[in-house]
Amino acid sequence: MTLVRLAEVARVHGEGATAVPALKGVSLEVGAGELVAVMGPSGSGKSTLLNLAGGLDRPTSGTVHIGGQDLATVRDLAALRRRSVGYVFQDLNLIASLTAAENVMLPRELDGVRSRLAREEAMAVLTEIDVAYLADRFPDELSGGQRQRVAIARALVGERRLLLADEATGALDTRTGDEIMQVLRARCDAGAAVLLVTHEPRYAAWADRVVFLRDGMITDSTSESLVSAR
Amino acid sequence: MSIRHGLLVLLSRGPRHGYQLRGEFEASTGATWPLNIGQVYTTLARMERDGLVEPGESDEQGRVVYTITAAGRAELGRWFSTPVVQSDRPRDELVIKLAMAVTAKEVDVAEVIRTQRTATMRALQQLTRAKRAVTEGVAQRLVLDSMIFRAEAEQRWLDHCEAVLKEER
Repeated sequence: MTLVRLAEVARVHGEGATAVPALKGVSLEVGAGELVAVMGPSGSGKSTLLNLAGGLDRPTSGTVHIGGQDLATVRDLAALRRRSVGYVFQDLNLIASLTAAENVMLPRELDGVRSRLAREEAMAVLTEIDVAYLADRFPDELSGGQRQRVAIARALVGERRLLLADEATGALDTRTGDEIMQVLRARCDAGAAVLLVTHEPRYAAWADRVVFLRDGMITDSTSESLVSAR
Repeated sequence: MSIRHGLLVLLSRGPRHGYQLRGEFEASTGATWPLNIGQVYTTLARMERDGLVEPGESDEQGRVVYTITAAGRAELGRWFSTPVVQSDRPRDELVIKLAMAVTAKEVDVAEVIRTQRTATMRALQQLTRAKRAVTEGVAQRLVLDSMIFRAEAEQRWLDHCEAVLKEER
């Protein structure tokens, strides 16, 4: 099952003489159980690609489907995002005044889930990735690796099966980075789809498929199964 | 590095015969360096000649058990305390190939880089899968990590080449 599909997606920032094409016709699919890594230098369009795949932005042309829904037909993108997509960023934006568990509960509470149920769901996902013991700690009482795990838990809580990660291993040492990749990999093997943007080859190598982005285009892929390599 | 130092390390943990040495050698290098039993016995014979090991009695299956000598332990100490020199490593074909591609004007260097980068990434994916499959044995994991870091360095260097050549154009 395809959880996100980009077809001939282009995105131009700005207009007229100052228009800057960020993506030039990218096609990419990520299925359930699949970990796909996107590699490219800064300015290659990685972040634009991730924002489009997560419904944080709309394409100038081409189509984006999330969980079978065409974004062009979705009015309330924010609601779709909360229901279907989890994000893990390098500056992970855990809220400092909330405990780990409260941070994980937050997206569910915004969805209107009662706080008791939200807490149960948060504990379930924290347990799944072996950090239930951190539930009552505040972000500044956690190590970098622990904070990243909590951010992953927050990205996965509820029904969400599409996880987008932008340099999720950014500030971590290589051993902790490997542990984070282990968690992402396990989530994939349990049926989630993960799209990971990174400039670090060692983390990209955890993916089933690595695509290389250059100047807004996919120039190569480690797998033949790509719908369109250009 | 030589097989002899590897075998000396294993013998420093107690007397062993050839088949045991082969099995333990492969286990600690993550099966990245397969040995045949002939190599093991040839190496043992040379080390015996050099006074680094001593053959003992044969066991009930006729296998000779070897023991490390004081000279063998001294050699091992010397080996561990001596850093490996860069120039002892063979030249890298990829580096030469790319330098030659830049020198030969008709070659599409960008394409050479792209092809190599994808191949190196596939190798890196394989190594990572192998690492995930290692459930015990820190030595094995570290050997794979070393290969991963090396492949990663190659990948970074290729990106660097691409960026530099883009500027040059």
